[in-house]
Amino acid sequence: MTYADENRYPPSAQPRGLPPRHETYGQNPWPEPYGHDAPRYDSYGRQAPWDASYAHETHRDDADLAALRSAYRLLRRISTLTALGSFVVYVVLSCYAPGLMGSKVTGELSLGMALGILQLVVTFAAVFWYGRSAQRSVDPLARAVRERAVPAGRHAGMAR
Amino acid sequence: MNDFSSGTQALVLVLFTALVTVTLLMCVMAGPDRDDLANFYTGYLSLTPLKNGLAIAGDYISAATVLSTTGIIALSGYDGYVLAVSTALSLVLLMFLLAEPLRNAGRFTMGDVLARNMSGRAVRIAACLVTLTATLPFLVVQLSGAGSLLTFILDIPFAAGARTACIVIVGTLMIIYAAIGGMRGTALIQMIKIVLLLGTSIVVAALVLNRFDWSPGDILRAAQHGSGAGPAYLQQGLQLGTSTGGRLDFVSLQITVILGVACLPHITMRLYSAQDVPAVRRSMSWAVGTVTTFCLLVIIMGTGAAALVGSQHITAADPHGRTSVLMLSQMLGGAPGSAGATILYSAVAGMVFITLLSSVAGMTLAAASSLAHDLFAHAVRRGQAEPRTEMTVAAWTSVAVGIVAIGLATMVQNWDVGVLTTLAICIGASAVAPALTYSLFWRGFTRTGLLATLYGGAACALLLMVFSRAVSGTPSAVFPHADFDLFPMQSTGLVSIPFGYLAGWLGSRLDHRRRAADSREQRRRYEESEARLLAAAE
Repeated sequence: MTYADENRYPPSAQPRGLPPRHETYGQNPWPEPYGHDAPRYDSYGRQAPWDASYAHETHRDDADLAALRSAYRLLRRISTLTALGSFVVYVVLSCYAPGLMGSKVTGELSLGMALGILQLVVTFAAVFWYGRSAQRSVDPLARAVRERAVPAGRHAGMAR
Repeated sequence: MNDFSSGTQALVLVLFTALVTVTLLMCVMAGPDRDDLANFYTGYLSLTPLKNGLAIAGDYISAATVLSTTGIIALSGYDGYVLAVSTALSLVLLMFLLAEPLRNAGRFTMGDVLARNMSGRAVRIAACLVTLTATLPFLVVQLSGAGSLLTFILDIPFAAGARTACIVIVGTLMIIYAAIGGMRGTALIQMIKIVLLLGTSIVVAALVLNRFDWSPGDILRAAQHGSGAGPAYLQQGLQLGTSTGGRLDFVSLQITVILGVACLPHITMRLYSAQDVPAVRRSMSWAVGTVTTFCLLVIIMGTGAAALVGSQHITAADPHGRTSVLMLSQMLGGAPGSAGATILYSAVAGMVFITLLSSVAGMTLAAASSLAHDLFAHAVRRGQAEPRTEMTVAAWTSVAVGIVAIGLATMVQNWDVGVLTTLAICIGASAVAPALTYSLFWRGFTRTGLLATLYGGAACALLLMVFSRAVSGTPSAVFPHADFDLFPMQSTGLVSIPFGYLAGWLGSRLDHRRRAADSREQRRRYEESEARLLAAAE
């Protein structure tokens, strides 16, 4: 990894980690007007004109973080919506289509009961799938972000 | 009620004493150093994922889950099955949605997560208050249930004094576990509990299936017959009715359970003691696996109770069926007085006892940690408290929370306070869940929004609950003869969950308009800490 000399960064421009809380109060480091769809990562371009390599590093950091964020978001949305959605459909069907859910599958076992137990059994597979996908999609990106952040974090002098 | 010989009672008592002695010893030996905060709150992050997962599952499966869910399955069939599924899926949702960012954002308590980007003491105070309103009702309902359960198990003749004594004994033990053991001590107890619980449940479920030659059709036929409801036992509607309102109420209850149960502070607190993100993922996998297995077993046990004991006997002992597991074990063991009957009944009684003890201890610890860490160390001392002082305060707040809970439980022991479980879950779903999801995933969330979510959601749930049909107006309500049920439902989720989310959104919008500088500052802090939130980067 090629990091520029850390000591060249002015202390007020820490790119990573939690800075000491009081330091930037009232300085308004966020020049563009506030809004939900305000561009999120355009500040680095104007922030540090004194050091081109610094801007470059920050750019890569931000790209890593953005990739991690969208990977997490995708994984979270798929898994949560599937789990919650299937259950809501199941409950609503149980309540408002009792005839359908009461139809017998085999013997005394009705469709509603079978679906309920199926959801519990599928849970094991879903948890396994989640672990595998997270390991593949999220963990490498998170590791990259962490490795980049270590020098900057030490520079900022913040621990958890 | 309980036609057992004195030999069984003696065995049960010996077992209880043994359990208490062993768990107390483990608590003392595992107890934290007297001046290390991280050790007290997280146990040095030293638990392996398997152990931590078992502890999470142990905290998650409270005595209310074990006893009430079995009872509801035994009495209402299908409605109980849906409840078992939603209970299991709630933990799945916690794992998929919140567990990993929570682990990265949190340190010791829920207040640490919520206050990480926000300055000021109001956030800490609000977090502490909501933690208390979510854990105390749960604590009180389980303690007051402990009184009637222990008198049932030990066959003590009905007297107010005996029940009060049982409540005080269980309460004292729970205080000792929480105050001396800390997170590490209670984790050990939760592990013992979950192993005993799973083992005993597997045996009971296997005996039920064996009784019917492993044929699900036979069990379901017998359960339909035993419940006295016929085919209705296998259709939705026995618990809350099949009217439009009843069905809506049922949907609302299930949604509340799936959103609320896993967010309760005593469960999320266990996540902070995982070492890193892969560890929290593996812990949660173990926890979900354990809880799902247990929910499958509960379905078998509840159906077995309906089939073998019959709803008449179950409701005669307890209108909510909370003693159905115990009655089922009496039925399965064979002739009264035989060795098999004695051993099985004692094992199930021991399982119920340790489940009660461990779940109340976990909740006391969560409430006490929040009081000590959020209220004392951060709100009163503004984060300047000595670790040693904070730990002493944590021990004493455990005592205080325990004493308050014992007092309240003694006061309400003659009432039917099952509604408090619903209240705790409703507060979890309408105050804690919105606050956590907003705080972790929405960069525009502000301080006013957070306070509005916490106070608004909790107050809405509390207020609606007071005027709900679970408190007055129906025969099974807390006050069956009074009539102030303005809100025609048993649970409040359908209104209070959207209210909690809306309050947070409106509060944040208000901040964006009125205090644009503050809300920009909060947004900046969120973005600065995002690497830590997503990747645990310091």
